[in-house]
Amino acid sequence: MSTAVDDELWSAIGDPIRRTMIDLLLSDGPGTATSLSRRLPVTRQAVSKHLAVLDRVGLIHAESAGRERHYQVDEAQLARAVAQLSAVGSTWDARLRRIKRIAEAIERSRITKEGE
Amino acid sequence: MEQGTIERDIHVNASPEVVFEVVSQPEHMREWWPDDARFESVAGAPGELVWRNADTGETKTVALAVVEVDPPRRFSFRWCFTEPDRSGQALLVTFDLIPDGTGTQIRMTETGFRELGWEIAVLEAQYQDHENGWDHYMPRLSAYVARLVATR
Repeated sequence: MSTAVDDELWSAIGDPIRRTMIDLLLSDGPGTATSLSRRLPVTRQAVSKHLAVLDRVGLIHAESAGRERHYQVDEAQLARAVAQLSAVGSTWDARLRRIKRIAEAIERSRITKEGE
Repeated sequence: MEQGTIERDIHVNASPEVVFEVVSQPEHMREWWPDDARFESVAGAPGELVWRNADTGETKTVALAVVEVDPPRRFSFRWCFTEPDRSGQALLVTFDLIPDGTGTQIRMTETGFRELGWEIAVLEAQYQDHENGWDHYMPRLSAYVARLVATR
């Protein structure tokens, strides 16, 4: 998948309201703009806009049932986004483990030196 | 990940003074991250991080700027600037050191991903440690610490 799409995916889940919407759709099952706006401190219109952003990057998809579109989370795409974010974090995990080892080695050698 | 921020906590069995040196001095940083780190540990100082390809000998230099130096509590720097003269958007890395028993709690945050987008995140992940693999690294570390202690 292209970088442009990854950029959009990144910013789609960078927004706290949109992340809350994903959480609600995961915990409560499929929802509509109306049902989500009842649970959130934003208007139905704003919810519709956020839903469109999530839909565009494939994090949710809609089914038309009755008058309103019912949205649900695309778990494969969500898993993909989560994996991308954690890949960046894991590079810091490795760096911090090294900082820990170096600092602890210095600390130990200082204590040994003082004890001599 | 909150607002495009990476946040990590790690406990280290070493005093905040020792940890501060390791995170903020270029001679230590090149042992835990790039092949070479050049900067003065002074607020506002410009610097460079260098990665060397062991096979081709090619080097990749990335600009850095020291932001805050508050021993033994906080060290922060910016890197991955969007403009060549260390301006525009950048990633901000902050190490906060909190005394924790006889050791230190490090809280590392890296912010700016949301502003810079996924492309920079991929780039960031590419700037990996200069050595991959514990087998190669451990003898280096022991030799390095022995050298360090000998010079004190």
